[in-house]
Amino acid sequence: MAWSRTLVVSREETGKQFFLDRYRMLGHRLTGDEKTPKAIRVNTIKTSDAEIMETLTSLGVKLTRVPYLDHGYVVEKSGFSLGASIEYLLGLYSLQETASQFATQTLAPNAGDVVLDMCAAPGGKTTQIAAYMGNKGLLYAVDVDRRRVYALENNLERCGVENGLVYHGDVTSLDLGTRFSKVLLDAPCSGNYITDPGWFRKRSIEDVHRNAETQRRLLTAVVRHLEPEGTLLYATCSLEPEENELNMEWLLSNHEVTLEEIDGPGEKGLTEVFGQRLSEEISKCHRFWPNITHTQGFFLAKVVMR
Amino acid sequence: MRLLKRFLEQVGSRMDPEVLSIDSKRFTLNQELERQQFSRRGLVYAGTYLGRNRRLFEPGSPLLQVLAAEEDTRKVHLGRDAAWLFVCGRDVFEENIRRVEGVIELGRHYLVMFDGRCIGYGRYETSAGIRVIRNLFDLGDFLRREGSD
Repeated sequence: MAWSRTLVVSREETGKQFFLDRYRMLGHRLTGDEKTPKAIRVNTIKTSDAEIMETLTSLGVKLTRVPYLDHGYVVEKSGFSLGASIEYLLGLYSLQETASQFATQTLAPNAGDVVLDMCAAPGGKTTQIAAYMGNKGLLYAVDVDRRRVYALENNLERCGVENGLVYHGDVTSLDLGTRFSKVLLDAPCSGNYITDPGWFRKRSIEDVHRNAETQRRLLTAVVRHLEPEGTLLYATCSLEPEENELNMEWLLSNHEVTLEEIDGPGEKGLTEVFGQRLSEEISKCHRFWPNITHTQGFFLAKVVMR
Repeated sequence: MRLLKRFLEQVGSRMDPEVLSIDSKRFTLNQELERQQFSRRGLVYAGTYLGRNRRLFEPGSPLLQVLAAEEDTRKVHLGRDAAWLFVCGRDVFEENIRRVEGVIELGRHYLVMFDGRCIGYGRYETSAGIRVIRNLFDLGDFLRREGSD
């Protein structure tokens, strides 16, 4: 009878209204039409904010600094594609959504760290990590999708990353031969409708549950890779609590970890999800709601190994 | 190594890097990476990318920037419009060269510069009676590669 279950799912547990109703139950009246502006991140490996601002302004680009980001700017106006300028090809800046930039900034890697970027392709956050590390220390980047790894390699080359080791493989089974002081797990997730106009048509609650399972498998692997007192930054661009707060609740229950408070725009993690009460610890996580932060949906959790 | 060495000689560099090979790609490691015992299984990229062997050696952006900082390398400097055409794969007409570092001679190779940074390299030659820097590699390759990798 699997087919009839599928039919029920497609009628009742997918679609715009189904997901908007879920968000309303979580306390947010979203319209499904929210947008996020284009944004760039200055690559401090190669240039400074002042230099790139001066250059792009002289070319008629209007940029506004994002107050909560170290090197992020919203593009108010541009007469050309910022993904095809000489400065872009030279790696002086990258196109990177603001909430996504905040994830790496929250991990706060530095030159003394040994960092693992677990699902690294196409490399926007990897190059940002290298910039925070000043191209020093050791930066491992892994991805399972060979096509996307090509994009990752290209990004590292373009941005002048010199401290990176890139692996193609499944991070849950790769033996990297070392433990890490910091790990970024920007987990494969259901995504959100802000960055994908066809999102409501494509997604069902079953996708969400499937992704949540994959994420738990990856979280288990993180524990194997982190050194004691090491920090994991868990991020998804999903609004669904199954991939976010419920995964963190599961992690706290099954592994020797604690959460650290994240300060920034947006809201605290949810401690009540569809009638289920979660640990108060979960409020230390962080959510970017599109109607509040005017970004894509994003979830962050800073996890420390005990 | 042969193609890399030949490329370095062509643009007037005396650089002699320690090279790590991964398939056709060439890298060099900083001291921290050199000290690290890292697994080679699944490794596709390491340290500073120098370039890859194809029919010719195809230099990577990090190597081009190192060469741009060397005094001995031969360079031609362009304005924005000519630089944009160059990264779109076009040759550089002689009249669009704003400044030359080193002697300009037919048959020689030059780094092509814009605003103090290297955007590729080419050979000074005559094409249909017109003197040009023939485009041998430019950074627009990033965008072309994304579609073909």
